[in-house]
Amino acid sequence: MNKLTRNILLMVLLVSIVSCKKYLDVNTNPNSPTTPAINGLLTRITQNAALNVYRVSNITSYYTQYLASPNASSPTDVYEPIDASSAWTSLYDNMTDAYDLEKIAASQGATQYQGVAKILLAMDLHLVHNLWGSAPYTEAFSGNTLTPAYDGEESIYQTCVKLLTDGIELLKKTGSTRTIPVASGSAVRVDLIHNGSTDGWIRTGYALRARLLNQLSKTPQYNAANVLADVDASYQPSSKDAFITVFNVRNPWNQAAVNNAGLLLDGWLSSYYVDAMDGSTFGFADPRLPLTASLTRFNDYRGTRNGAGRVGSGTQKDESYISLTGYYSSTSSPLYIISYEEVKFIEAEAAFRANNKTRAYAAYLEGIRANMNKMGVAAVDRDAYVNNPAISVGEANLTLQHIFQEKYKALFLMPVTWDDARRSNYIYQGFQLPLNAVENTYIRRLVFPSVETSRNGKNVPPVPDVTDKLWWDK
Amino acid sequence: MRKTLNFSWIVLLLILPMFSIGQDRTITGKVTDERGNPVALASVIIKGTKNGVTADDNGRFSISVSARNAVLQISAAGYGTKEVPIGNANNYDVQLVSNANLSEVVVTALGISRQKRTLGYSAQDIKGEDLANTRQTNIVNALRGKVAGVQINSGGGAPGQGTRIVIRGIKSLDPTKDNQPLFVIDGVVMDNSTTTVNSQGSLRGLSNRAADINPDDIETISVLRGGAATALYGLAGANGVVVITTKSAKAGKMRVGFTTSYGIDQVNKFPDVQMMFTQGNNGVYNPAEFFPVWGPTVAEAKAIDPTHPDQIFHHYKRGYQNGNQFRTSINLSGGNENALITSSLAYFKQDGVIPNSDYKNISARLNAQLKFGSKFKFNPSFYYVSSGGRRVNADRYNESLTYWSPRWDVKDYIRPDGTHKTYLQGNNNPIFGTYSNQFKDDVNRLISNLALTYSPVEWLDVNYRLGMDYYADFRRHAAPGPKGLVGETPHEDNGLGFVNEDRLSNRIINSNLMATFKKDWTSKFGTVLRVGNELRDIKYSRLSSTGSELDIPDLLTLNNAKIRGTTEYRELYRIVSAYGDLSLSWDNFLFLNITGRNDWTSTLPDGNNSFFYPSVSLSYVFTDHLKLPSWISFGKLRGSYAEIGKDTRPYETNTYYNSSVITSTSQVIWTRGDTKGDPGLKPERTYTVEAGLEAKFFRNRLGIDFTWYKLNSKDQIINVSASPTSGFTSFILNAGELQNKGIEVVLNGTPVETNHFKWDVSLNFSRNRNKVIALREGLAEIIVGTHFGYAGSTASMKYVPGYPVGNIYGTSYLRYYGAKPDDKINVDKSLPYVIAVTGTNRGFPMRDATQRILGNSQPDWIGGITNTLTYKNVTLSFLFETQQGMQKYNQLGNFMSAFGIAKYTENRRETIVFPGVLPDGTPNTQAVWLGQGTGPDGRNYTAGYYRNVYRGITENFVEDASWVRLRSLSLGYDLPKNIFKGSFIQSANVTFTGNNLLLWTDYSGFDPETSSFSAGSNVDAFAGFTYPAVRSFLVTLSVNF
Repeated sequence: MNKLTRNILLMVLLVSIVSCKKYLDVNTNPNSPTTPAINGLLTRITQNAALNVYRVSNITSYYTQYLASPNASSPTDVYEPIDASSAWTSLYDNMTDAYDLEKIAASQGATQYQGVAKILLAMDLHLVHNLWGSAPYTEAFSGNTLTPAYDGEESIYQTCVKLLTDGIELLKKTGSTRTIPVASGSAVRVDLIHNGSTDGWIRTGYALRARLLNQLSKTPQYNAANVLADVDASYQPSSKDAFITVFNVRNPWNQAAVNNAGLLLDGWLSSYYVDAMDGSTFGFADPRLPLTASLTRFNDYRGTRNGAGRVGSGTQKDESYISLTGYYSSTSSPLYIISYEEVKFIEAEAAFRANNKTRAYAAYLEGIRANMNKMGVAAVDRDAYVNNPAISVGEANLTLQHIFQEKYKALFLMPVTWDDARRSNYIYQGFQLPLNAVENTYIRRLVFPSVETSRNGKNVPPVPDVTDKLWWDK
Repeated sequence: MRKTLNFSWIVLLLILPMFSIGQDRTITGKVTDERGNPVALASVIIKGTKNGVTADDNGRFSISVSARNAVLQISAAGYGTKEVPIGNANNYDVQLVSNANLSEVVVTALGISRQKRTLGYSAQDIKGEDLANTRQTNIVNALRGKVAGVQINSGGGAPGQGTRIVIRGIKSLDPTKDNQPLFVIDGVVMDNSTTTVNSQGSLRGLSNRAADINPDDIETISVLRGGAATALYGLAGANGVVVITTKSAKAGKMRVGFTTSYGIDQVNKFPDVQMMFTQGNNGVYNPAEFFPVWGPTVAEAKAIDPTHPDQIFHHYKRGYQNGNQFRTSINLSGGNENALITSSLAYFKQDGVIPNSDYKNISARLNAQLKFGSKFKFNPSFYYVSSGGRRVNADRYNESLTYWSPRWDVKDYIRPDGTHKTYLQGNNNPIFGTYSNQFKDDVNRLISNLALTYSPVEWLDVNYRLGMDYYADFRRHAAPGPKGLVGETPHEDNGLGFVNEDRLSNRIINSNLMATFKKDWTSKFGTVLRVGNELRDIKYSRLSSTGSELDIPDLLTLNNAKIRGTTEYRELYRIVSAYGDLSLSWDNFLFLNITGRNDWTSTLPDGNNSFFYPSVSLSYVFTDHLKLPSWISFGKLRGSYAEIGKDTRPYETNTYYNSSVITSTSQVIWTRGDTKGDPGLKPERTYTVEAGLEAKFFRNRLGIDFTWYKLNSKDQIINVSASPTSGFTSFILNAGELQNKGIEVVLNGTPVETNHFKWDVSLNFSRNRNKVIALREGLAEIIVGTHFGYAGSTASMKYVPGYPVGNIYGTSYLRYYGAKPDDKINVDKSLPYVIAVTGTNRGFPMRDATQRILGNSQPDWIGGITNTLTYKNVTLSFLFETQQGMQKYNQLGNFMSAFGIAKYTENRRETIVFPGVLPDGTPNTQAVWLGQGTGPDGRNYTAGYYRNVYRGITENFVEDASWVRLRSLSLGYDLPKNIFKGSFIQSANVTFTGNNLLLWTDYSGFDPETSSFSAGSNVDAFAGFTYPAVRSFLVTLSVNF
């Protein structure tokens, strides 16, 4: 081989090695980035925080008997242990995004984003806590382990409190290197809950913390003064509370109503709720019922008993359903995370427990009025209701029963009602076990979902029964 | 062509005859086989010249010979070449020995034909006619029961449904990774994926892409099982290789072949159902009740409701119909020595046993072999396929059928106005479901291949092959919305109407350059060296559009959808390889083969993306070396060792964020992806040791082939399911080692052979044992899949170190251990049940919620036995096949107990004492009623034994899924040739075939061979709501012109 040939061969070899390396360098995913847009991440977290309330409500509303299944002995209605894997996964999916947002924001010194991330993380984690008690947190989200260990029930609770406290502190800090864009008018919003308002987020943080602290009513740790302090720092009548109105297509409760109208049966109202509202239970009608329920073909309101299923074929409007145009269930109805009226009822309960009846009574009435105003009840109907002696019982006659009953009505579909029901041992008047119940007592918790028992079995704590009480319910 | 080339260099070893000049004279003769039957169209060449003739159909030839001491070289496809020195005689009867008996040639890696005797590993060839006889619609199905070490399971009997093929057990622990072999057609790497895209796809029995190939086009299929056999294919061949060779033309004559067949399919097995009780709940009759058969007896219901039929319908049978299939193909071939052309056209149509399911396949093929002088050969080929059909969701169909009360006729599914007919809104009619909610695929595929051979000198061949397999797959899933008519009861699966379209395209380019150097150093010692370069480039893309809420209810176009969305996915995969293959032979009885290959892949990180792996194999034909008794006709020992490296799929070394859009505001929102990639991934490695013995006795009347192998796969790249609390739902990891060990035995025999009658038997047996040796540290188990069961009876398939692959876990009956230790892993079935004494279930067996091993989905052994009886021109062939010692979770059984459909629930009005002991160990004496509601003893039994207890215990539904079946039976008749005398017809044959005619199994559901997961999935432990397997009766006519 002469020198020239050898050199040419060497060149060819070299070029082919280099081009081969380049040829093989195609493993960059063209479909997805490795870092997200921080605002797009925030938008998703705010949207899913509210949607998670809906997802959880779609379970708890059957236990609180706002809703009932059109099918007899439906597993949720009759307390069968249900597999809530999809709700669990949605909650952790959103917490994972909030965890990332917190990390990204912290690395950039964007304390405002960081504070919002912590508050939303606490919100989702608290929902997990209320359904299952213990859950992974310390080892969760990071991807360092495939099978995160479970933190104890009470430890999860304390984490929620701490996340809220830290979040509020971060939001109060000045000098965030980056602020959430504030959109005016109908412009597209990055923050679907508070549109970048730091003040709004701080108030929501306090409202959520008040909800948490109030949850301890059965435990020796309960401190009414702390609850009231958070109430004070929370929403004022003029504040915007925490909800979203931006949906992919429509409000999820509206979707249930649309499906039901298309005879894909969904969103059936429980007879307990309808009876409590239409006068059957209390002897006087609640003007909010027409704003939530649909009329039957008999031109009245009729619920479905939990566990009993439909009466007729299910297609002839024999019963009432979530209304297509209802306050909570029209196309762009607000989907709440926490509201001003809830804070008022928390205040009423805490003040009552602190033996401050005056404050309790005022907050109780304000809670009812605020909810009615928000829902658009006519002033005359509102006043007629509030002035009814069964409602305006007077400061001296006010009981926890009154507060819980009115809170139940005002917080239609809210998952927190199930927490209240358990704290109060299902105090609601006329409340009864579902038909065909598989348990002899009221339901107290969920069993861990199969996505955990199958993938993280060694860490999942044993759950004897759905009537087993969580730590704050004992 | 290559076959002749390979032979010629072996033949060169023979002493060359001396030449001398003589006069021209005509030599005549007849070519026959060992049994004296004429061999048609044999090629007769005067050795050392280009002069030659072709024998006629009766084997007769006549050739002019000028040289003295000339030697005739006689060869024919399927026979060994024979040389006949010309002496003084002018007539020679030449007996050729069939390849099968002498020097079988098999197609091995990269399409290299090798004499079977030289192979240091096992390889088994199946002839096209053996495949075609069974008239299977999917070529993979046609291999069933014929090849040792190969487990083939059809997913179900849907038209065109995918079939899963696994060679020597599962080799990848990744539940989502394909364990199926590489398919190569005429040298082109062919896609055999079963692409599912989303859950809709996975439940609709989509085709594996090999199903696109027309079985009538196939000359041979060769199955390469071991590491050494597939080493030259590199990582793509790590799961074995199926090498398909299509039919090619023979020189001399224009031939036309025409084949047509028609058949009827029917479900081969239904579960046993109760016929005693009718619609209602708690024993109370209600013709608008959700529960299909928890009501009173038929007689009691008739007394209440005179319109009630005299007997209820069979819960499942009523939902099925007879299917049918039709295939016709025409094959044309012809040409001369320098240009040969084959072409074929085929049409196939099948209507399924579930209403509204069908499949159609049209294919066209063109293959040319062109010679340019003696140095160039050019071989282009094109294969075009158009396939697809309406795929039903059999899982959903059977589920709806389960809920449907047999008090009502499921075939009465539509109202005059075209809307859904049901007795209760929410109980969806399954036939209306398949009628209105349709999923269609439409595949257009082109497989093309250009092969060029340049032989500048006798010792060197250079081959270049460029192949492409491209397909576009358009899938549309659409259903109309409710019409809004008064009293309408819409079908719930259709929502408010939707149109979804997925457009997939996949393109594989395969380039292979190989140089072959042959040299015989002495008369005994020869070498062949091959070096080459291979490149594979796969480009996949998908565009998916969804539209929902149709404006005009039954206008199925995206333009009519109120809500629309689009997503796309693109993927690129590249791999470049260099390989070498050195074969050494000594005196035609000792053969050594060494290979090495280095792959550079695009999917692994820099530094880990180049990997080398070698193989070595040895073959020793001891009968040609040692003097052995004459009854031993042939004997060979072989052994091999091979390593194979394996990469991963694209984009698995990183973690990503995924987007979606808020439709109302067009905002793009982001979320962390569900899969955690690993930037440090390294290639998997598989080590295979194989040894075998091959022998033939009594003048080849009896043959045996025995193989033992052991295969270890290390550093497996696995997509492990993780708790969503981890921040991901799956992790990509190098995690674990798996071992497969097994034996394979093939026996061939001809017990009877007379002039007119012949009986051939072929038997194969294989067993594979696998074991998960280790998982990554900190990983106790891998969940492969789970399948829903009521009330906590969900079954899971897991990989656990120290245990075999395929274990099925679930809940069991609580057993009384007393002082006996309980390992909390296995179920000790010898122990008595514990019967509850308190609670709502007192008096009933208790449930053990611990997840224990209830069974295993991998068979202990599989086997097949084929008998072929030939008498004059009648051939009878039948194949028995079996898979033994595996279990499956029967989800259908779980539902059948929950809904009171199973035959055994007829005892629901009995009062019994469950055998077993109380928690304190004393015998149970509590009598309980098995029914629902209040029993004769006044106790409220609520939902009853079957719903409260029985359905919640997985153990009840993990069943022995072993089977024996008469896989196929065919009776063929060659019409006597004399009836065609003077016509253009040369021969004709009529064959009657029955597939899946008889089945013996203890499994209670549909045919246990079916699977609830798609053919591409490793999750094979679950069955139940599957597309049932079918039995087929077919008649085929084939005519040659």
